[in-house]
Parts: sequence; structure tokens; C-alpha cells
Amino acid sequence: MFSIEKKNITLGFMPLTDSAPLVIAHEMGIFEKWGLNVNLTKQNSWATLRDKLHSGVIDAAQMLAPMPIASNIGLHGQKSTVISPMILSRNGNGITLSTKLYQKILSQHDTNALSMPFSANILKHEIDERKRGGNKLTLAVVFPYSCHYYQLIEWLKNSDISPSEINLLIVPPSDMVPSMHSGDLDGFCVGSPWNAKAVREGVGITGVTSSDLWEDSPEKVLGLMSDWQVKHPETTFALVSALYEACQWLENIPNRFEAARFLSRAKYLDTHIDVIAPSLMGSCLTLNNTSPRKVESYQQFSTLGDPTFNKPAHHYGENIAKLMQACGHINTQQITDLDIASIYREDIYQAVIYKDKKSLY
Amino acid sequence: MKKNTLSSPKKNTLIQDAPSGLKVLLAEINHVKAKALMSVLTNGQYDIYHIAHSGVPLLRDVKQLNPDVIIIDIESPNRDMLENLNQISQFAPKPIVVFSEQQNTNTTINQMVNSGVSAYVVGEVDQVRVKSIIDVAIARFDLFQGLKQELADTKQKLSSQKNIDKAKRWLMETKQLSEIDAYHFIRKIAMDNSQKMDDVAKNILSVASIF
Repeated sequence: MFSIEKKNITLGFMPLTDSAPLVIAHEMGIFEKWGLNVNLTKQNSWATLRDKLHSGVIDAAQMLAPMPIASNIGLHGQKSTVISPMILSRNGNGITLSTKLYQKILSQHDTNALSMPFSANILKHEIDERKRGGNKLTLAVVFPYSCHYYQLIEWLKNSDISPSEINLLIVPPSDMVPSMHSGDLDGFCVGSPWNAKAVREGVGITGVTSSDLWEDSPEKVLGLMSDWQVKHPETTFALVSALYEACQWLENIPNRFEAARFLSRAKYLDTHIDVIAPSLMGSCLTLNNTSPRKVESYQQFSTLGDPTFNKPAHHYGENIAKLMQACGHINTQQITDLDIASIYREDIYQAVIYKDKKSLY
Repeated sequence: MKKNTLSSPKKNTLIQDAPSGLKVLLAEINHVKAKALMSVLTNGQYDIYHIAHSGVPLLRDVKQLNPDVIIIDIESPNRDMLENLNQISQFAPKPIVVFSEQQNTNTTINQMVNSGVSAYVVGEVDQVRVKSIIDVAIARFDLFQGLKQELADTKQKLSSQKNIDKAKRWLMETKQLSEIDAYHFIRKIAMDNSQKMDDVAKNILSVASIF
């Protein structure tokens, strides 16, 4: 046990399936077991979650893996030394196209089904057709500094489609499915449960998951301010220990359904279990009323008995920084100045998981 | 266009022929909250437009209205979208004022302002204060945009200087020109072809790369 400096802490999370480690640690009494009294607060936008963390309104938060890097560079605001001592989840995203577009693609290719995961090549015919009419396909993601954004761009680039050939919008997650209904969006790259929701409502087809694109790349991380950690080293240890235990708990498949039940509650995702459970069971809903596709690693939170899974290894941070550069979010100078080891804090994780606290004192 | 405008009676249409002041867009789904803010904001200096849309329809409204400033609740899911308008090619970034019903300490407000948003209105507000907040938000935004432009210009200048220097060096080495002659050589081509010296230098360098 740790000598906790701050027992009452507030954590911020976004209502997504991969907020499960925080929700489980809370609901299963794991935070309590580690001596913490946690107030979980649901957030409505990544920008506000970030600002609350920077300004100390919340003590720590579930963040998109590129966000700590964006904060340290000062993208969209003041430079803030956000650190990440732990990876909370990997994979979990999917690319969904509207069924209307899908039907059109099928007729363009004179076929009645496309094999999955599909490449962005299937869009080329439609991109050209719209170009002749002075239009573009419209795709969306929820936040610019996100794996969703980088995955969508990479999926397009793998088929030699330049991002300039499409309209790319930033749209709130809860507006994705309605915008597909109204015909405003032809596709999106988002996290669970929004892909499954589009499929269940018969408006979208999910043909690619992040597991198909980048197997096991970090998706959400625990984020906190560097000076907060310095002031509360033992509390940080307790927090990482509790969340690691929750991630391990989630690796047991029978527990996943229980997790889905918790997540569906109003104070968390406030969504039907029908759209939350599938991805947790390794099932990717593709098209309504067809067999789901088995994607075992669709939502990964840990590996049983292997702590390296949740370690925020530097090379992950470096990879993300490279993607940010490739998309023009950061420049060469910024990437040179970046000290990944001071953001992705392997040392804290090692110290707590392997109970060797010497390196920190 | 069907719009929910709660502006003062004389401004009951969304698009006006001759707007008299700054165009302020209040993006708020909750009509009660919007009404409270509208009553504070309404004065001669601003044309306030209340829009109760979310997501892509709100984006369309922003495009059509082209407001000078956008006001939004800090707890709105639309914040990520509106703050990243410049990620979307056909939009220019807009100054955003964020309001919150929750009372926070002054330090928190300042930190929140510094950490991204142009300004931050909290709790009960009076007319004078809101006016100054909006003015500060616009000034802060302009300053930030100005700094960004300046930085981009400086970078551009530095990189053109680098190209010209490189091209000069190549001419000096391969054509045995003096530094001043190499410079005049590039300038003459630029003037004869009404090109920028940077572009001429780039052409020379691309020729140089063949050899």
C-alpha cells in the first residue's frame, strides 16, 4: 500500500466504451481497495477535458494517446507539461461508411459484397465521379489530435488518396450517426460504441477497424500534470495500480459483459447494451442483419500476466509524434525539441508495477 | 432558413442586409440558458444570433453567417468542432468565448483562458462585463493570429534566404562567379521573368540536383 497524499481525487472521462478501466475500477471497488476516493466526471468534449486537466479542475483523465504530446507542444493553447504513466487501452476504432455510399460502391464495382477489411481503393470511383461534379466525399473524426484522425488519413494514403481529395470534418461523437442519417456524412472514423450504433440503426457499414490498420497501437492513456505527480507521487502509484488491476479484470471475457452493463448506465455512456457489448466481446458489427466479423483484439485493455502491455513505452510516443508530423500538426523543429521520455513516463509505470520505487526518489 | 433566433424584436431574422455591429453567434441548444445570455448580450454594438443546432447543421450556420465571434457553453459537445474550424479547409478560425454556469475561482478562469479558449465567462454576468470580455476575446484572438502569421512569414523568409544562398554557392562553384555576380545573376533572371528570387533559386537548385 502507498502513503497517499490526496485521497479524494477527480477523474475525467469521455463516454466511450474504452472508458471501461475507469468505470470498472470505480464500480468494482478497486479504487477504494487502493485507498482512493474517486469522483468520476463525464466530459462532453476533449478540449474541455484538456482545459480542466491543465487548470486543475480535474486531477487526472482518460486521454487520447496523442493529447499529452499536443499539450507539451502547446497545440491549441498554452504549453502544459502533461505526462502519461500508463496506457489504458489499445485499438477500439473503426471506419464506417454510410450504407447509401456502400450500395453505390457495390453497383460501381458490379458486385453484391466487398471483402473486409476493405481498403480505401473502393472509394476512388466515387471520388472521381464527385470531382467531375465539383464535389467531394465528406468524412469525419471527433478530434484532430487523435488516433482516429491519423488512422483515417493513413487508410486513405495507403490507397494513394490525398486528404485534400475529401472533406474532413470534426464532428461531436453524438452527432455522427444523425449526420449519416441526414446524408451530411459519407463516413467516419470513431471509437466504440458509435460504429456499432450506426450499424444497428441500419445507416452505416463498418468495414475496417484500428486492429486491421495498426495492430495493438495505444489508443487511450492516463494523463495528469507533471507537477501534480511530483506533489502526489504515492497517489499516482495508487492510481496506476488500481487502473492496472481494472485492465487485468477486463481481460477475462465473462467480465466483459458485466462491464458492458455498467457502461450502459445513464451516468456513463447512457446507451443501450446492444451497441456496447459487441466490441467488448471481440465482435465487429459490419452490416445490419449480417454475421458480425470476429476481431479478437477490437478492445484491448491488457494482457493477462504481462505488464508490458500497459507500459507507455517511448517508441509509441515517438511513432505518434511522427504521425502528427506527417499530417502537418507539428513541424520538424517541434519534433526535434520533443522529449518523449518526459511525457510517456515508462519510469513511473515500471516503479509501480515492479514495486521498485528507488528510481523516483 | 428556419432558425431559432431569440434576438431582440428588430433583429428577428438571421441574415440582415446591413449588419450594424459585430456578428456574435450564440450556439446553445438549451433555450432557457440561451435566453438568459441573450438578455445580457443584447445591446446596440452586437448583432446576436442564437442557433440551436449541433454538429454539421451548426457548421453550415457558421459558414452562412460568418460570425465575428462564437459563444459556446464549456460543456457543449460542439466545442471540439468549433475550435477546430481551421482544420476544415473552407473555414477560417473564429474567436470563441466559452461560458460556464459553474462558479470557479479566478485563477482557474485565467488558466482556462490561457490554455486555449479566447475568453471565459463564468456564472452571472452583467452587460458591461460581457462587452469587455468579448472585446478582450477578439483582441486576444487577433494577437494570436497575428503572431502565427508573423511566424509563418519569418519561416518563409528564412527558407527563401537559404535557397538563394545555396543557389549562389552552386553558381560560384560551377560557373566560377563571384558572390556578388552570382547574386546579380539570380536577380536578373528573377526580374526578366517577373519571378521571385526564391523561385529562381529553387529552379537553379533543381537543375543542380540533376548534375
